Amino acid sequence: MPSMNMVQAINDALRTSMRKDERVVLMGEDVGRVGGVFRVTQGLWDEFGDDRVIDTPLSEGGILGTAIGMALYGMVPVPEIQFADFIFPGYDQIVSELAKMRWRSGGEYSAKMVVRTPVGGGIRGGLYHSQSPESLFIHVAGLKVVCPSNPHDAKGLLLASIRDPDPVLFFEPKRIYRAAKGEVPEGDYVEELGRAKIVRHAEAGKPAVTVLAWGAMLYEAFAAADQAAEQGVSCEIVDLRTLWPLDIETIAASVKRTGRVVVVHEAPKTCGFGAELVALVNEHCFVHLEAPPVRVTGFDTPFPYTLEMEYLPLAHRILPAILETARY
Amino acid sequence: MQPAVPDPKAPEGAEPLAARARRDALAAAPAAFRHALRLRMVSARMVELQREGRVAFHAAVVGEELAVVATALAAREADWVFPGTREWGVAIVRGLPLATYFQHAFGTALDPAKGHSAPDHAPARAHRVAPASGVVGAHLPQAVGFAWAAKSRREEVATLAIFGDGATSTGDFHNAVNFAGVFRAPAVLVCRNNGRAGAAATTRPMKAGSVAEKAVAYGVASARVSGEDPIEILAVVREALLRAAEGKGATLVEIVTHPPESLEGVDLFSLPGTDALASLRRALEESGRLDAAAVAVMRGEIAAEIDAAVAAAEKGAPPPPETLFDDVYAHVPAHLAAQRALASAHPAPRKE
Repeated sequence: MPSMNMVQAINDALRTSMRKDERVVLMGEDVGRVGGVFRVTQGLWDEFGDDRVIDTPLSEGGILGTAIGMALYGMVPVPEIQFADFIFPGYDQIVSELAKMRWRSGGEYSAKMVVRTPVGGGIRGGLYHSQSPESLFIHVAGLKVVCPSNPHDAKGLLLASIRDPDPVLFFEPKRIYRAAKGEVPEGDYVEELGRAKIVRHAEAGKPAVTVLAWGAMLYEAFAAADQAAEQGVSCEIVDLRTLWPLDIETIAASVKRTGRVVVVHEAPKTCGFGAELVALVNEHCFVHLEAPPVRVTGFDTPFPYTLEMEYLPLAHRILPAILETARY
Repeated sequence: MQPAVPDPKAPEGAEPLAARARRDALAAAPAAFRHALRLRMVSARMVELQREGRVAFHAAVVGEELAVVATALAAREADWVFPGTREWGVAIVRGLPLATYFQHAFGTALDPAKGHSAPDHAPARAHRVAPASGVVGAHLPQAVGFAWAAKSRREEVATLAIFGDGATSTGDFHNAVNFAGVFRAPAVLVCRNNGRAGAAATTRPMKAGSVAEKAVAYGVASARVSGEDPIEILAVVREALLRAAEGKGATLVEIVTHPPESLEGVDLFSLPGTDALASLRRALEESGRLDAAAVAVMRGEIAAEIDAAVAAAEKGAPPPPETLFDDVYAHVPAHLAAQRALASAHPAPRKE
């Protein structure tokens, strides 16, 4: 099995799906000849040409609006938005049009597509190249939201997203685009949407905490869990993978085992997805809880340029939360 | 009639298309009259129903029906149409039964949109009409993307979008015309310019002298026609669609209309000022293709059709509570299944 980074795995998924299904088309700013701002689509224009790898004018509303039209026609567009921070000029097309097309037409029409966009900070990108807007899309009925943490999942989840009948926001954690490496199967396979994965199990007989994370922050959760283990606290780490629809069963089963939960995400705390996760944990596991659920998140400020390591919920902030929760 | 703005990219050999379009337009005139009369009577009834609180919304089109009808008739069967809310008549012209239109207006269990959307947003896929958005202008880039997809699949299909002048102020309008120009999409964008820009005549949509002249900056062809001349509208839009389907790119068409300020106390069949429908009737009568008796029969038939459709829709049951959860996703996910059970267990009290 070849070893790949995230960029290579996503590129491989796009190539695999485009070879399999001629309705799949890529579009966006510089996705063609240049291969995308992070080179995720490199080489695809050479193989598939102008009709299927389309360089567009610089306008997210135009990209997403025309992509919806293509989807209505029966194509499967995979538009790339260069940074999730730039998705907002096209937000109306996603929220009012894409998400509601099937519903408002009573099922006569649908506009399935996969909107790919890099998210997250830690690359010295400042406030317009670092944000994590997942909760703004999870809040909108009709959308699915995916965020992989490793090359194997990135390829399998993207192949599943392209095949899915509903519109999917596919958030690619840019901080680990090249840092996360691993074995990736060749050819076609899917990682089913809506399935979280327990990526580290708690050790029996030790006080344990469930840590919910996704994307780049999963690695910070691992680092914090390693340090917590040295202090006698064991962590069960759940990689959500699909943020919506949520695999609440896997989460609830873990929290019922440990009685304790820490949620980690880069986005600001207030009304972040962590708020929904904690509410759902309370609804599903209240009588099993041994400690109040804790959120370790970005701050309720814009994303900073200089102080991004202060802003991000890195291991040095996750560790005390794990220990306090364990010792509550 | 105002002359068409010269096409900045007029290709050689455009003349045969224009001649073909005009011949088709003349032949379609009697049908256009009947369709427009029908839309006027439907719109007048909807205005009444809304005033009485029996339906919650209507985008009246009285005085501009022929702009909508002529544009819709210009589309060939294979072509697709993306209407705005006020162009709800497109679906009716292309075959949506009035019975279905009124079931949608009343949001009954027989509404194809399942009561999900407000009146005048009926989907009509069978008639190649996209569902209108409540967001003015949002459908324009979608129409261009649809056209572009057809082109990339080498289909001889053109896509028509129709919208009011208010939409020309939006970013979506800019995106649509710009993308249509860049990709030579087989799209025809038809603006019904009534100078209202939405509800208020005081809203100022632009500094430019016309909508059509904006096309020059985007490198697409354009035309400006009078809303009083349905034959010209039909011919110009048809020609633009034929050009689009032949790979000659997009066209922005402006139709200048003058609907009455208010319908209070006006004779529905002879509007104050210029009434394109009354003018078309006179022209058809003068050329012997219509007479007063035929018009009277037509009015009677349409009135009966509307009465029956309204009566049936008003008696229609609402969609069952669980249909609220249909079509959010292709398959109902677990969290919606739980909410659906809740809605079924606690139906809202209804007035008898």
